Amino acid sequence: MTTAVTIPRHGDTGGLTAVAARARQVVKAYGAGETRVVALDHVDVDIARGQFTAIMGPSGSGKSTLMHCLAGLDTVTSGHIHLGDTEITGLKDKKLTQLRRDRIGFIFQAFNLLPTLDALENITLPMDIAGRRPDAGWLDQVVETVGLAGRLKHRPTQLSGGQQQRVAVARALAARPEIIFGDEPTGNLDSRAGAEVLSFLRRSVDELGQTIVMVTHDPVAASYADRVLYLADGSLVDEMTDPTADQVLDRMKDFDARGRTS
Amino acid sequence: MTVWKTSVRNFLAHKGRMALSAVAVLLSVAFVCGTLVFTDTMNTTFDKLFAATSADVTVSPKAAEAAGDMPESGRPESLPASVLAEVEKADGVKDAEGGVSSMSVTVVDRNDENMGSETGAPTIAGNWTRNELRSMEIASGHAPRGPTEVMVDADTAEKHHLKIGDELRTIAATGDITAKISGIAAFTVTNPGAAVVFFDTATAQRTLLGAPDVFTHVNVTARPGVDDTRLKENVAAALGDAGAYKLRTQKEAADADKDSMGSFLDVMKYAMLGFAGIAFLVGVFLIVNTFSMLVAQRTREIGLMRAIGSSRKQVNRSVLVEAVLLGVVGSALGVAAGIGLAVGLMKAMGAVGMELSTNDLTVAWTTPVTGLVLGIVVTVLAAYIPARRAGKVSPMAALRDAGTPADAKSGRVRAALGLVLTGAGAAGLWATTRVDEASEGSLYLGLGVLLTLIGFIVIGPLLAGAVVRALGAAVLRLFGPVGRLAERNALRNPRRTGATGAALMVGLALVACLSVVGSSMVASATDELDKSVGTDFIVQSNAGQLVVPQAADAVEKVPGLERVTHYKVLGAKLTNPDGSTEDEYVTAADPTYPKDLRRETVDGDLAKAYGERAMSVGSDYAALHKIEVGDEITVAFRAGKTAKLTVAAITSDDTSVDQGAMYTSIATAGTYVSDDRMPGDMIMFATAEDGKEKEAYAALKTALAPYPQYKVQNQADFKQDLKDQVGQLLNIVYGLLALAIVVAVLGVVNTLALSVVERTREIGLMRAIGLSRRQLRRMIRLESVVIALFGALLGLGLGMGWGTSAQKLLALEGLGVLEIPWPTILTVFVASAFVGLFAALVPAFRAGRMNVLNAIATDG
Repeated sequence: MTTAVTIPRHGDTGGLTAVAARARQVVKAYGAGETRVVALDHVDVDIARGQFTAIMGPSGSGKSTLMHCLAGLDTVTSGHIHLGDTEITGLKDKKLTQLRRDRIGFIFQAFNLLPTLDALENITLPMDIAGRRPDAGWLDQVVETVGLAGRLKHRPTQLSGGQQQRVAVARALAARPEIIFGDEPTGNLDSRAGAEVLSFLRRSVDELGQTIVMVTHDPVAASYADRVLYLADGSLVDEMTDPTADQVLDRMKDFDARGRTS
Repeated sequence: MTVWKTSVRNFLAHKGRMALSAVAVLLSVAFVCGTLVFTDTMNTTFDKLFAATSADVTVSPKAAEAAGDMPESGRPESLPASVLAEVEKADGVKDAEGGVSSMSVTVVDRNDENMGSETGAPTIAGNWTRNELRSMEIASGHAPRGPTEVMVDADTAEKHHLKIGDELRTIAATGDITAKISGIAAFTVTNPGAAVVFFDTATAQRTLLGAPDVFTHVNVTARPGVDDTRLKENVAAALGDAGAYKLRTQKEAADADKDSMGSFLDVMKYAMLGFAGIAFLVGVFLIVNTFSMLVAQRTREIGLMRAIGSSRKQVNRSVLVEAVLLGVVGSALGVAAGIGLAVGLMKAMGAVGMELSTNDLTVAWTTPVTGLVLGIVVTVLAAYIPARRAGKVSPMAALRDAGTPADAKSGRVRAALGLVLTGAGAAGLWATTRVDEASEGSLYLGLGVLLTLIGFIVIGPLLAGAVVRALGAAVLRLFGPVGRLAERNALRNPRRTGATGAALMVGLALVACLSVVGSSMVASATDELDKSVGTDFIVQSNAGQLVVPQAADAVEKVPGLERVTHYKVLGAKLTNPDGSTEDEYVTAADPTYPKDLRRETVDGDLAKAYGERAMSVGSDYAALHKIEVGDEITVAFRAGKTAKLTVAAITSDDTSVDQGAMYTSIATAGTYVSDDRMPGDMIMFATAEDGKEKEAYAALKTALAPYPQYKVQNQADFKQDLKDQVGQLLNIVYGLLALAIVVAVLGVVNTLALSVVERTREIGLMRAIGLSRRQLRRMIRLESVVIALFGALLGLGLGMGWGTSAQKLLALEGLGVLEIPWPTILTVFVASAFVGLFAALVPAFRAGRMNVLNAIATDG
């Protein structure tokens, strides 16, 4: 597995910036006047290419909102977001859709797959939609990496939760996106299946040079990342590189305690 | 109470969804109520009209025809003027006056344009009597005096821009009369379209009856305090030979007149109610689907209700209460819409010459009650199965993820049941094509149609799989992955796709069946005409009027004609050799007629039937009464004496032209019927000398120009006319079926709208990973098209099967040629694809507008 890996396009940073995604002074507010709620409060973030980044924070901290904005799923109130060289803030829906289709991969917490399509069809769906032919060699490799070779003709209902998430990971990888966003990708899985999926994500960063951003509240999941960003009340409050689960947990407890005293 | 509250809340929460079902209920109820109100209003109009036009007691000849029937001889029956004097002497008579009235007339203006209605309402000419003042008043000018004056009704005057001083020519069997308009009389009741002209009594007698001292009827007015029944008795006593006359009180006369109208109104009423029934049937699918989907969506909610202690019955009832609410709202609106529809229909009738006044608008209390009861009962019945399914939801459903696993067992039961029904139906249709007796065959046909329809509805969901896959392979592949997704979506819930398609199927099956029968009719008749018609031109009136002698003479005088054949029809009572008697019509024609219309004979020689005291009969009649060539039939002509005619030929009834006709010569008939009672020609056939067809055709048209009530047609015209008539009839039927199709389209819209809501998260996911709005909309449109095409394929197939069986059955009645109108069938098929596109417009738009984030975050 580790030897014959072709370096994918996005792994070669020659033509690309070292920062895969960048947020500058991003504000996301809901409502107006008295009822105005600020979910993101002037956030600056750089997502390094070829790295596995985790975004952590308590419920309501704005971590999901940040991911949605970075991924072009949601619009920002003010500020700028760049994906590579492209500024995505202000793009029209059509452009954004194309961008998501061609340059971004997604893994959601649940409901990642279309029930009417089998595993393989789900994996190739983004390319089908775009009218591109999947690169057969690359596809085989991805399928093998996530260990689904025998189950490609199965419908999602015939797969276990862990297998379903692995199909979702395969789908995200198959299109060779610049960046993959995961929204609590292991949130619905037991620890063993979760560990499986996370190690696939880890390997795709290490071996395939993939860039991944993952939102999670699970310290164990965060420990697979290269870098952990902590969000609280819509602001970036801390970060940590090469974390372990214990370190992450300690830091979280720390925040919790501070949150309660303040 | 809580059940009620949750139901009301659920109903209101899903008002968008309910709205479409409510529209289906509304349309069906509106159609029923509209029909009832419309026919009731027509009845009221005619009631008022006939009550106003009938005198207290009317004395008319025994043989006088009912209103609306043409007199056989082409001129009305009359009674001598002496009757008037006898009647005047009767007790209780305030006054009596002789009336003249004829409906066998045509009135034309200076440009030979027909002033009469073209839609079947009669043209009436008569004398201006005091009795007319009960229903009319002179609006301008004065009553006609002398042979040069005529009065016309205001509606006709207005329609044709007639004014006092204009000339009108009245064409009657006894001759033409040209007179100047002296006055215009307006109806004080609603006149539904008849054109009426009046002369003074002497002129009316001379021109309409051809004799001075005769009347068509005597109007008797009672002295105050004498009721109509008493008066009738007195008049009967005063008349010397009361048995020779028909005496009717005002009520009897009005009822009799209305009866002849009523049968026409009834036919119309039941036909329209039939279509309302079809709309209801289609609406049922929509309602079943809506409630099934609502129940499926609420499975978890219902599970929760069950978990916290609701009984099955309560859940079941809460769904039914929602159905009742839907029924009440839909039907109430439907009743209102129905009244509007009736008013619209009345206005539309105005466009074709039938003027109805909204003052007569009649809404019987039974109409809204019928509408409401029907709407509510049908809605609740349709919701019953989904409600039962809701009751069966287990409390565990609250804990499970949404999505009910397919029930394999019910699928097998369904397949078996559907196949048995369809098989039985197909056997019925097959049997239809094999029988020799039409009556037996129509029973098989009815059963076959019913069973195959139910069978198709039952196995629809199973067929959906195969048909959608086939359509997918044929059409959707062109659209790449979006097409594949659409196909999978259509296959996802076959029961829903089946029911949605079935709604469309019902309407289209009828369209296909009728168009097959209709075009077979045209093809058979054309084929028959080609084979049997040897004449060049046919002269007849549009409205079944007889050809007046002056028009017949004009035809005879046309140069370049080789021969002209007269064709008359006489009523007669036949006494057969086996002793049975039958009221029949005998066709009296010139001996040249067999050249104009070649007929196959089973036995004997048709030419001899035109010999002295001879006749022919049809093969069915001959078989029924065991008549053979050489037998003698006693023919009592209604207009004359009794003859004993020898059967010289038996014609084959395997034809659609003149089927069952009994022929004799005009000369033979003339021996028993006096000249003045001899009817005019029903049809005239003219044949040109060789090579002069064109000139003769033009000359015939010119000769008949003063008589616009007749048309002359060559074979091509005649065939085209036939085609147009069938086409027109079919168009009316298609128009009515459009209602069923509209309801079916609402069903498709509903199904798609619900599917979009159900698949919110899926759509969000697809949008997130890069499906563009346009692709999403296309996916939904394609799904809709596939459902529509599925319904069309089933419906058209089924309908063609029905139509073919019907043709085979009707082949016994001369409908020998089967013609499947492929252009129509293909057009309908393609049009259903567009119907699908149209139905998807709103759901696709809404899906496209869905916020990606909301879509993926529904549960989170």
